[in-house]
Amino acid sequence: MTRLCLIVLLLAATGWRAAAEALLIRNATVLTVTKGTIQDGSVLVENGKITAVGQNLSAPAGAVVVDAGGKFLMPGLIDCHSHTAIEGGVNEGTVSDSSMVNIEDVLDPMDINIYRALAGGLTVSNVLHGSANAIGGQTVVIKLRWGKTAQEMLLAGAKPGIKFALGENPKRQGYTPPAVLPLGRPAERRFPGTRMGVEDVIRQSFVEAKNYQADWQVYRQRVARGEHPVAPRKDLRLEPLVEVLEGKRYVHAHCYRSDEILMLIRVADEMGFKIRTLQHALEAYKVAREIAEHGASVSTFSDWWSYKIEAFDATPYNVAILTRKGVLVSVNSDSDELQRHLNLEAAKSMRYGGLSEAEALALVTINPAKQLGIDDKVGSIEVGKSADLALFEGHPLSNYSKALRVWIDGHEYFDRDKDLETRPDFERKKRALEDKDNGAQQRLPTRR
Amino acid sequence: MVTVSGEDLPKATVLLRDGLIQDVGAGIAIPRDAWVIEGAGLTVYPGFIDGLSRWGLAAAASSTTPAPRSQGPEDRPQTYSFERAADLLDPGDHRLEAARGAGFTAAATFPDRGIFEGLGAMIGLAGARARDMVIDEPIGQQITFRFGGGPASNGFPASLMGNIAYVRQLYLDLDHYKQAKATRRPEYDHALEGLEESPRVLLPAEEAQQIDRMLNFAPELKTPVLLYGLHEAYRRIETLKQTHVPLLVSLKWPEKPRDADPNDAPNYRELVMREQAPTVPGLLAKAGLKFGFYSDGIDTATGLRQAVKKAIDAGLPRADAIRALTRNVAEMYGLADRLGTIERGKIANLVVTKGDVFEDKTTIEYVFVGGRKFVPEKEVHD
Amino acid sequence: MTKLFLTLALAGFYCVAAPAAESNSVLIRNATIHPVTGPEVQNSSVLIIDGRIAEIGPKLVSRGAIRTVDARGLHLYPGLINAATNVGLVEIQAMRDTVDLDEVGLFNPELRAATVFNPSSEHVEVTRAAGITSVISLPGSGSRRASPAGGILITGQGALMHLDGWTWEEMAVKPGAVMDLLFPEVEPAPRQGSVAPRPGSPTPRPYKEEERQYQARLRELSEFFEQARRYQKAMVAGGADFRRDLRLEAMIPVLEGQQPLAMRAERERSIRDAVAFADKEKVKIIIADPREIGGTGPLLKERHIPVILGRAFQLPMRDDDPYDASYMLAAQFYRAGVKICFGTFDVQFARNVGFEAAQAAAFGLPREEALKALTINSAEILGVGDRLGSIEKGKFGDLILTDGDPLEARTNIRQMFIAGREVSLESRHTREYEKWTKRP
Repeated sequence: MTRLCLIVLLLAATGWRAAAEALLIRNATVLTVTKGTIQDGSVLVENGKITAVGQNLSAPAGAVVVDAGGKFLMPGLIDCHSHTAIEGGVNEGTVSDSSMVNIEDVLDPMDINIYRALAGGLTVSNVLHGSANAIGGQTVVIKLRWGKTAQEMLLAGAKPGIKFALGENPKRQGYTPPAVLPLGRPAERRFPGTRMGVEDVIRQSFVEAKNYQADWQVYRQRVARGEHPVAPRKDLRLEPLVEVLEGKRYVHAHCYRSDEILMLIRVADEMGFKIRTLQHALEAYKVAREIAEHGASVSTFSDWWSYKIEAFDATPYNVAILTRKGVLVSVNSDSDELQRHLNLEAAKSMRYGGLSEAEALALVTINPAKQLGIDDKVGSIEVGKSADLALFEGHPLSNYSKALRVWIDGHEYFDRDKDLETRPDFERKKRALEDKDNGAQQRLPTRR
Repeated sequence: MVTVSGEDLPKATVLLRDGLIQDVGAGIAIPRDAWVIEGAGLTVYPGFIDGLSRWGLAAAASSTTPAPRSQGPEDRPQTYSFERAADLLDPGDHRLEAARGAGFTAAATFPDRGIFEGLGAMIGLAGARARDMVIDEPIGQQITFRFGGGPASNGFPASLMGNIAYVRQLYLDLDHYKQAKATRRPEYDHALEGLEESPRVLLPAEEAQQIDRMLNFAPELKTPVLLYGLHEAYRRIETLKQTHVPLLVSLKWPEKPRDADPNDAPNYRELVMREQAPTVPGLLAKAGLKFGFYSDGIDTATGLRQAVKKAIDAGLPRADAIRALTRNVAEMYGLADRLGTIERGKIANLVVTKGDVFEDKTTIEYVFVGGRKFVPEKEVHD
Repeated sequence: MTKLFLTLALAGFYCVAAPAAESNSVLIRNATIHPVTGPEVQNSSVLIIDGRIAEIGPKLVSRGAIRTVDARGLHLYPGLINAATNVGLVEIQAMRDTVDLDEVGLFNPELRAATVFNPSSEHVEVTRAAGITSVISLPGSGSRRASPAGGILITGQGALMHLDGWTWEEMAVKPGAVMDLLFPEVEPAPRQGSVAPRPGSPTPRPYKEEERQYQARLRELSEFFEQARRYQKAMVAGGADFRRDLRLEAMIPVLEGQQPLAMRAERERSIRDAVAFADKEKVKIIIADPREIGGTGPLLKERHIPVILGRAFQLPMRDDDPYDASYMLAAQFYRAGVKICFGTFDVQFARNVGFEAAQAAAFGLPREEALKALTINSAEILGVGDRLGSIEKGKFGDLILTDGDPLEARTNIRQMFIAGREVSLESRHTREYEKWTKRP
């Protein structure tokens, strides 16, 4: 947070202006992702949007000009699975269905991991509830506008989501291994304790949601007829499930094994909703066809495996198999640490399955943008999209690369040079505060 | 005489009778049956009012049986919205003496367990019987978010978002309850009855993002709101200016813990909070925002006085400090007609000092609670 | 006659073809060779005989039945070494039955990772597919939070293993390469929160408690070493009363400076205290998985204490630390003149050690040093510099053929040789790929 203050001051001092000003980034290798690579390219940004992409663009009067020195400019990276910037617990796992809770209520814009992610080129995160229960909480998409308030970070126009979880995690409290319980308390198991129960929770909740939906329809009809009935009780748990049925809320389902992926697809078909993304889905490669037929997409790890039994059949070739079989795939982090180098995660798919450079870059830009329904706004360097850009030294798919500067809506939110410059000053300021703090110990008087 | 209702009056007289201020001013008529205290060299302030406290509450009977595990909002977890501080008072609470020793004569006292902690009461900090202490009740409902004990400890809610979703749902249920009551007799819901009675709600707002969060959340509850805590409000002065929500600033300034690892540096943000939190009252005063103080567990007279002094040293004008301890708190709780200034008709709560009340060397000579005189114990300094 | 001829021909064919897989001699021709201890050489060849590098040079000719590999257009590197893993001792981290780490008890120096290394672990094939030919397998997880009741100090001996062999015996290059020691740490206090936590939530231990525990552990460590020395003296003296004690006996190579202690110390204070301990006890140590350098650089350089670095991909320890703290660490130690090598201290990402080294190179470590820290440095730090870590005559034929820089994700590892034997780069992962790609 303080680093923010110093950097904002420094940026202000060196002429950082509001988005209304123009920004021209030139002399860059522009990786547009959707329209090829432009050598000696330029990108013009006005009012936060990309207004021109090409070679030899000229800057309008008053524009800030950045010479990229031949370095690589790519769209800001997008992470489809994040738990960063959540305060007070990532899970409300105490109940089988916690759809009434909302991540938007507990966004913590001052989580330092937001800044650390920016420093790796990340600009957009799909911030999710954890996987402690079959139906978790409501989710949001944010832009990593470090220094702004939580409300200001919300990505306007992004459809809200809800998190489901299948497999081992949501059933863990159903058999309560001893390690989880405080000493002395009798075991209190929470349904479900098996994968069968997980399916049941989802089906039951959607049946309840349909009943609730029907109750409200009846109510509205009666009101329309001029009656004055008492409205049904507004149930925050069922409201978001009704929104799922009505296509107003995306379902992001954490899953591992092929059988549970197929299960959820069939439940969704039965209940009449579409799964938007299957998250992790390490065995998705086994049911690629069914996933493609349903119309879901997959957001997965580059190469995680073996940490639990349901991850034992994972293979880093998952991404390649799904891609070849026509499933839209993104690579995500589910980690404060991994989100700092999603570009390097994407690169692994070049080794594991021979994805091309363009296909690899898409895994962390346009593909997750499509999955989140925001590909009209972000995910590639195209005229009309938001100026979410990341400048890399070295090709972003090289393990020797690093992010240098990051813009969101045309504002610069990260500059490595400035970060390095502010370090000595920051140390000084901190030491001064520590000295003050150490000298401030008071002794309270004693009573007679 | 620091009346707070107007200019300070030098060489003035205040007349108390039957627990109320009968008259105040220079050269007022003194009845023949009045007990007279010569005030040369003394300063009189309105008695201080603690904006949010546990003073006067009987020691809570700790329940040995843990509450059954809550399975959702319908189980009304950690909800004591119906408990009344007024029913839990103990005039023998030894802490009352310490509070008076710091100049407090009244306090907004709230029960302190659960998420919905209960209905607070404005009490005088002395009384022969519990019911003699109550000035007004209920004055509000305190909400505290409780999470972090792990999912196996007591069920829903275990997270901050669970807490917020629960509060939101309860207010929706209240809405529904009120509608339903108008047309038919529903089940009696103890928790909702308690909410219905609350004239206002107190929400926790210590850090900057929590302040934002509560300001965003408050309109959903459709009831007047007070924010309490506010140590990081120095980052949000502009935002608070937009909303004019009444504020209660905690006097328990964040400090370096007694027992800290010399090899481990604290967080910069934490260090800044320790330095800047005491500037919050001064900044609020400058921005024209109304705020009161609350003791937040400080229970020694010197502790309380030093805490206020810290704010004054950090830029809070003295007069504003006094207002934050008196009139502002009375106004926030809708009791401006009965407390908070030295004016005719108000309750006879006064602090009488030899010297400026916030200076270390000053002694508090007398404290009047409802017209009854107390001589506070003099504290010993090392 | 024809039948006999055919039979003989077939027999002849099989005689020539059959031993190829088990053969540990091979000639690799026309590669760009990266010896690591010398400059890159184009169009050169390496001849391996009986598992050892016999000759390096252009235009080498095969001898006898030694098979030839045409490596035109490819690069030859020494096989990478991961200097700290739990490979072979852990299969599925979440399933305790598959985990053989952190034995009960404060001092377990006689425990040996080598003998419980599972040669059939899926991790063997998966890890080597990324170009890693040997790993150190440690008997400790390094986790302080998961420490069993009673604490943990010496977990046992870590082994240097080739990632190829029918049994652990065949795989062991140096069974007692290091003694694994989890140096005590004072856990820092968590940030003071604000929104009131629920009563009953676990309170962190006060600093006084932590400090007391820390000092107690250091004392116990000293006492144990003294016990070991007394045993050593008694053993040397002989005498009728002498009784063999496996535990204390296992400490003797450490006391004699033959076996280094890999001390896992994270923070500056622990690093300093570890060095002070080594000074006092006059033992050889390696600092393992440090999380910061602080001012310890000159101290470590002066004492010639090397470092096994952990993963570059870790979050900085403190909120206020620079965002690239972990990335920069390798370069910081290098610039201070400390000898470094890379490990991952885990199983799941053991194969990515090369990628992490490359990131360290992005943040200040010269690229050649990154490669050295994955090969020759590791070998020298682990005392096998005469046998591993570079392409030089006399060393093991641990080699990889790649189509580029093995530290880059886009590079493919084409072939691998361990002690001269070609090993398969297939694994569970590639087999799933082959199978499920074919699903209609």
